[in-house]
Amino acid sequence: MNTLWTVLALGTGLSLGMTGAIAQAPSGYDITVNSAIDGVVTPDDDLTLREAILLVNGALALEALSPAEQALVTPAVTSTIGFDLPSDDTAIALTAALPPLQAVGLVLDGTTQPGYGATRPYLPNVPVPVVSLTPAAGTEILTGLTITGSDVTVRGLNLYGFAASPRIATLTTPSADILVINRALPADLDPDAPMFEGLELADPEATITGVTIEQNWLGTPPDESMPEQRSAAGVVVHNATDVRIADNLIQHHEASGVITGFRADGLELDGNAIIGNGLAGMPDGVRLEGSLIGAAVTNNLICANDGSGIYLFKPEGAVQIESNAIRFNGRRFRRAAVYVMGHGHTIVGNEIGYQPGPGVAVSAYPLSDRNLIRENQFAQLDGLSIDLLAQGSSDILHFQRGDGPNPPRNHHHRRAETGNGAINAPEFNVYAFRTGPDYAIVGQADPGSEVDLYQIKQDAGFYSPLTEPLMTTTADGDGNFSFDWDTDAGAWVSAIASDPEFGTSEPAPVIGLPASNGTLPARPPTTVPFEATCYPPVAAIPDRPAEPIVLRVPRNIHFALDQSFISLESSFILDQIADAMQTYPSLTVELQGHTDPRASVGYNQALSERRALAARDYLLSQGIAAERLRIVPFGESRRRTQGNTTLDYARDRRVEFIFTDTQGLDIIFEAVESDLQIE
Amino acid sequence: MLRLDWIFSIPGSAYRLVGYLARSFKRRFWLQAAIAFLVVQLLSWSGVVPNFGLTPVAAQSTNVTNQAGGSYVDASNTPQRTVSNPTSLQATGTASLTIIKTADRGAAEPGDVVVYRLLVRNPATTPSGALTITDELPLGLQFIEESVRTSPLQFTSITTRDRSFTLDFGGASLAGGQELSVVYAALVTPDAIRGSGRNVAQAITPTSSASASNELAIRPGILADCGTLVGRVFVDKNFDGEQQAGEPGVPNAVVFMDDGNRILTDPDGLFSVANVLAGNRVGTLDLTSLPGYTLAPNLFRLADNSQSRLVQLEPGGLARMNFGVTPAFGEEQG
Repeated sequence: MNTLWTVLALGTGLSLGMTGAIAQAPSGYDITVNSAIDGVVTPDDDLTLREAILLVNGALALEALSPAEQALVTPAVTSTIGFDLPSDDTAIALTAALPPLQAVGLVLDGTTQPGYGATRPYLPNVPVPVVSLTPAAGTEILTGLTITGSDVTVRGLNLYGFAASPRIATLTTPSADILVINRALPADLDPDAPMFEGLELADPEATITGVTIEQNWLGTPPDESMPEQRSAAGVVVHNATDVRIADNLIQHHEASGVITGFRADGLELDGNAIIGNGLAGMPDGVRLEGSLIGAAVTNNLICANDGSGIYLFKPEGAVQIESNAIRFNGRRFRRAAVYVMGHGHTIVGNEIGYQPGPGVAVSAYPLSDRNLIRENQFAQLDGLSIDLLAQGSSDILHFQRGDGPNPPRNHHHRRAETGNGAINAPEFNVYAFRTGPDYAIVGQADPGSEVDLYQIKQDAGFYSPLTEPLMTTTADGDGNFSFDWDTDAGAWVSAIASDPEFGTSEPAPVIGLPASNGTLPARPPTTVPFEATCYPPVAAIPDRPAEPIVLRVPRNIHFALDQSFISLESSFILDQIADAMQTYPSLTVELQGHTDPRASVGYNQALSERRALAARDYLLSQGIAAERLRIVPFGESRRRTQGNTTLDYARDRRVEFIFTDTQGLDIIFEAVESDLQIE
Repeated sequence: MLRLDWIFSIPGSAYRLVGYLARSFKRRFWLQAAIAFLVVQLLSWSGVVPNFGLTPVAAQSTNVTNQAGGSYVDASNTPQRTVSNPTSLQATGTASLTIIKTADRGAAEPGDVVVYRLLVRNPATTPSGALTITDELPLGLQFIEESVRTSPLQFTSITTRDRSFTLDFGGASLAGGQELSVVYAALVTPDAIRGSGRNVAQAITPTSSASASNELAIRPGILADCGTLVGRVFVDKNFDGEQQAGEPGVPNAVVFMDDGNRILTDPDGLFSVANVLAGNRVGTLDLTSLPGYTLAPNLFRLADNSQSRLVQLEPGGLARMNFGVTPAFGEEQG
């Protein structure tokens, strides 16, 4: 009978969801896994992870193990699974989905593996895991670990390569390295299987609580390369409260690094590095949906994701977003770095920048307010630092980017159709204040609101990114505010106003405060190239050589008619580009996709995006960091040629590489045509 | 016949017309007519006179004078003329009828009853002679014989033939200046949809006749072969294909219909389309319109595990197309 159960569990990885009562067994086991082998449960010398989980779940009797295996198991109050794998074989290739982790209080601890503890200099709090879990070659496994038990901890593991293969019509149920859910889900509807009993999402009693996921590497092997089979998503919290996801590296996923589903109250997302996700799916680094009462996103590095860094889509409850570094996102979609819907969120003390969109966008539909956005530092944005959407805007672009500066409120109805209650941006009384040793910077804001004065160090026009908070004052009952300015040095400043009843305003236009000698500091324009790196640079940038380096790089690759795959000839060209990028880390590139003028505009737009994506995927697989690559599809709008011969069209079907660098390289672009594919 | 309604409908032209006519003295009558209508129009603007389509022309009497004369050659071979006394003949106005036709509604659909009213007037001072009224109903309208009321003259017989009927007043005639009102009802049958809705009433006397027409807009009503399509695009979190609390709608998603209609969801993820031709209708979710999401599996209904929804839309009916979506991964690269 036991064998039957194990075979069932091995085969589906799901049947145990129905045996939840067994999980309540009072006694657990302390287990040490000593083999990286995976397969059918057999009483031999090797205690596998699968056997350990089945044992903990109560689906496998201790007596079914061999004496050698039993020696690795000791009874305990709550279960712990540790590892002592042979040091040359620490990668577990799963032949089927593992049974769900349903035992209450189970700890799956990869840090017990001897040799654990090495760190990378740029990730001091996330040691490199030793034990890897990945599907065996040619195996489709939806989720690496499915956690269906309360108080389960997963620590120090490496999971990658978990994704469902394409289905005919629809997608599967959530696929991720780690799925936290109250009940294991089938992949899709199998007419031969008994009907799924449902998730009972509405019942708060049915949810699980207290799961911890820490110090794991998700989506990328220990060498940080792009795996051949990318994972679908990092962690999906579908229905679980008080989940703590801390100190993980979440990288290279096709969808977001972290996605919440129906309920993730009390979610704690702390100290993670969420890098380069959203490559072929949900593009945002952290996608928060559903019930998020008391959720907190703190101290994370959210970098080089394809959409927003953090996107709150119609959530319930207030989320605290604090002290995160949110940079270089928007690689594929020009979204806001942080897009906020809902009420009462606090976005405080973050470093937000290098985004082809606004810093923080607050939606007008659903009407969002009481969102406090203070003490953040912004840099290199394409839009406002804080953009409140107005007029109930709900077009496609308004759910991705902002709508620019709002005019002052001219009617109380504006409050009901603008983000953050249409709180007015502060207005300074003059554009440049008089010079002098001390003077007051005076202006108008909404009565009673708190006005934060920001220094502006970048020049992006009237609404430059808010570089650094300087000081705060409160507007009086008539809305007048005043800052005492006693600094000799000149500065450019802007301000935002916050009122707990409505939220934080958009920034005021920048004004200049001349130094005592009447000069204003220079501000670099936003077009100045910058280093694109997620991690702070560890080594000093080498001095620029005396002779300028002349770099010859190809400027484009070509494609076959209506195709977006990389031909062999094109791959040679891409190899040259990858070489150049690896040699010169200061190079960043914008990949511009183009098509020939035939077929519809919309079709060509999508085709050009697929071409740019294919080229980027190739470069990513060559180890180029995601933050150095950005995609811009142009469709048929920018042809290479004027003619209408097949040769002209072949030249039109291309991806162009636009390089920028900070080291003053003398780049010579070569229009290579060795890979032309004439139809 | 002067198209009075035309002048009414283009007041500016009427004014220009007056100026033009003033220069052309030969057309004094038209000038008078135009001024008369202008006056009527001003009155109708001021609300004094209800806006009717036809203004009865005042009965006129004409004085016809005649004189005879002769010529001859007298004895001295001189031609001579002689003239008789003038005679004068007062010609009274002839009986030229006017008729106005109205309906109690501008539009009708099968099953409705339309009440028509005729107003026949004899503007002359002399009796009209034996009066009969004929009305040809529009296609598909069924005359209800019992509904006919006339006053002050009473009809003596009704003859129906195909779609038309004739009221006979037993030789009675309308006195000068007298008005006759006729009321009758007609039932709109389903056939009416094929017709034009236009009918013509005629009042006939031995010496004159007048006709008026009325056009009724026919709507298909209960026989409409259009239905309404509703639906929603939402993030399905329990994979049952229905939207429950906590499953937000997706804005700006595009659903294409089999006839090429492109439907956009509202900010709550809802859509509705009126006047959809009945029959088997198919809608397909355009996945490129919702980046980051794709179709969710349905764990309970096999038929909903598809990119398209087939509904059987009954005439006048309502059908639903719901699309559950879920965060995407592995989006197609080819």
